[in-house]
Amino acid sequence: MKPSPRVLVAAAVCAAALAAPLLLSEAQVSVYVLLLLAACVVTGLSMLMGYAGQVSLGQASFFMVGGYTAALITTHGRPSWLGLAAAPLVAAALAALIGVPLLRLRGHQLAFATLAVQLILLNLVGQQEWTGGDIGLQGVPRLEIAGYEFATDLSYAYLALAALGLIALITRNIVASRPGRGLRALATSEVAAASSGVPVATYKLAVFSLSAGFAGLAGGIYAFYIGYVAPGSFPVLLSFEYVVMVVVGGAGTVYGALAGATVITLLLQLLNNVGTMEGMPAAAPTVLSYAVYGLLLILIVLFMPRGLVPSATGWWERRAARGAPASDEPDAAPVRDLARTSP
Amino acid sequence: MSDFLQYLISGLAVGCGFALLASGLVTIHRVTRVVNFAQGMFAVVAGLTAGSLLSAGLPHGLAEVAAVAVAGAAGLLVGLIATGRRGTSAQSALIVTLGLGFVAYAVEIMIWGDNPRSHPGLGGSVQFAGAFVQKQSFLVIGVTAVVFAALWLFFNRSYPGKALSACASNPYAARAVGIDVTRMGLVAFALGGMLGGTAGVLLTPMLPISYNSDVLLITNGFAAAVLGGLNRPGPALAGALVLGVAEAMVAGYYEAAYQTVVALALMLAIMIWQSSRRTALQEETAR
Repeated sequence: MKPSPRVLVAAAVCAAALAAPLLLSEAQVSVYVLLLLAACVVTGLSMLMGYAGQVSLGQASFFMVGGYTAALITTHGRPSWLGLAAAPLVAAALAALIGVPLLRLRGHQLAFATLAVQLILLNLVGQQEWTGGDIGLQGVPRLEIAGYEFATDLSYAYLALAALGLIALITRNIVASRPGRGLRALATSEVAAASSGVPVATYKLAVFSLSAGFAGLAGGIYAFYIGYVAPGSFPVLLSFEYVVMVVVGGAGTVYGALAGATVITLLLQLLNNVGTMEGMPAAAPTVLSYAVYGLLLILIVLFMPRGLVPSATGWWERRAARGAPASDEPDAAPVRDLARTSP
Repeated sequence: MSDFLQYLISGLAVGCGFALLASGLVTIHRVTRVVNFAQGMFAVVAGLTAGSLLSAGLPHGLAEVAAVAVAGAAGLLVGLIATGRRGTSAQSALIVTLGLGFVAYAVEIMIWGDNPRSHPGLGGSVQFAGAFVQKQSFLVIGVTAVVFAALWLFFNRSYPGKALSACASNPYAARAVGIDVTRMGLVAFALGGMLGGTAGVLLTPMLPISYNSDVLLITNGFAAAVLGGLNRPGPALAGALVLGVAEAMVAGYYEAAYQTVVALALMLAIMIWQSSRRTALQEETAR
């Protein structure tokens, strides 16, 4: 039996992701780790935006909660694996708690509410003694699991890759399940979904806290990798960046999230290299990155509203259908059409 | 007592700034159903432009008016990009305005750098019932009163204003009587830009602004506007004044660092309270 193109693509992406850290230089591996962590957050946000139809402008707050949880637990002398395990749980629990009142809001109101939550959390964290105030928590020890210490960039690359793999697997299975169909239904119309027996509030809350858990896990790894957490590491702009990544890649697909995180991270790195070349003004890297963020976001929303990956697969399928009138994969198109939900 | 009066008046002045910002948000949302995330950017652009024009030697008054005009032009540009393409949904337009905010960051850093800037306003302070109050505060309150009165006259007593209101209440009927709804949307954006610009010009002497001040400005403006469901300027004005005074009181009597927390918590509480009185069915049919 010939393997389907879908399996081949998945295998190729996995192989490339596993081989990449070995081929990259040290500085590039650190970019790769941050890329993977961003992809973890973006996968969750993409599910929230694409399947539950809710925009969160405060996703970095859960990343921050995960980071602080891991840092607080380990700097108080508890084992570091406990910190890593607690990071997603605390972030998800917080999301479940604030989600109860917050998720009664929809659309732009929810967007502003999540932004407000992040501003509040940033402000509180910057004031408290036990979170280290504006300086944050320094000297987070390296992660140690069952006697193995994660000390090199390479080990963190594989750790982040494992986390991303787990997250992608969970997301894929949820999307393909009965609750996944319920989620797609409620993104289109909550009233229609509720009338068909979808428990709208429960599902929305579940996705919200799951996406927060993903962000928390990424935040935990981030804290161990960088070695310190401070409010300045989790600005509001980081939340906007995640939204840009989701929109560029295409909301509601795992591949879209991966593509969005990859494209934006690589582009930023490229611009940073261009901006720091000789003869460029000091502000050039910031100016370039803001300009590109903005223009990319505007162009994608206006001219490719489904995002890169769904648009590309759609184009590929149309081309294949023209080439061979009897499609060899008749059930693929309708499923993908259902998955297409633009916010 | 004199402390109280001092906090009250400076709070009212800052609240008036938020009210101007919120009224721009309301004007745009009423007509186009777009929540304009770039509203804070108008204030930043106008504030920074006014500073540059003043240091270039333009007299007070002229520099401020020119800066407001620049903000109006920025508003028109935002409107063209966010709503100019046929079939852009309101939700997509929100994300487009977010993107425009990023582009504006790039332009602002290129022109003005990334440090907070301020420009001199109406200098000095007056003693008023034992309290020292900046003259600028009275200027802000006075200008806001005039602007809101003019807005009321414009929307209720002039043909272009009535056309805008018509688009707001029923775009289909407005088109049927020959009003160009798209063009009215752009007029709303330009007006919103000018209102945001006025806020920026007036607030900059009191609170120095930098390119990324817009996030805090837009959240405060949104918090005020949301009180009137983003559609009514009156409650937005009331909300903004409450917000400004609450922030000034928290800063004065408790801790300046917590003032935004109070404002944001207030906004969340209001939004959640409002949503409890609305069902999903009402929202979806209103879309």
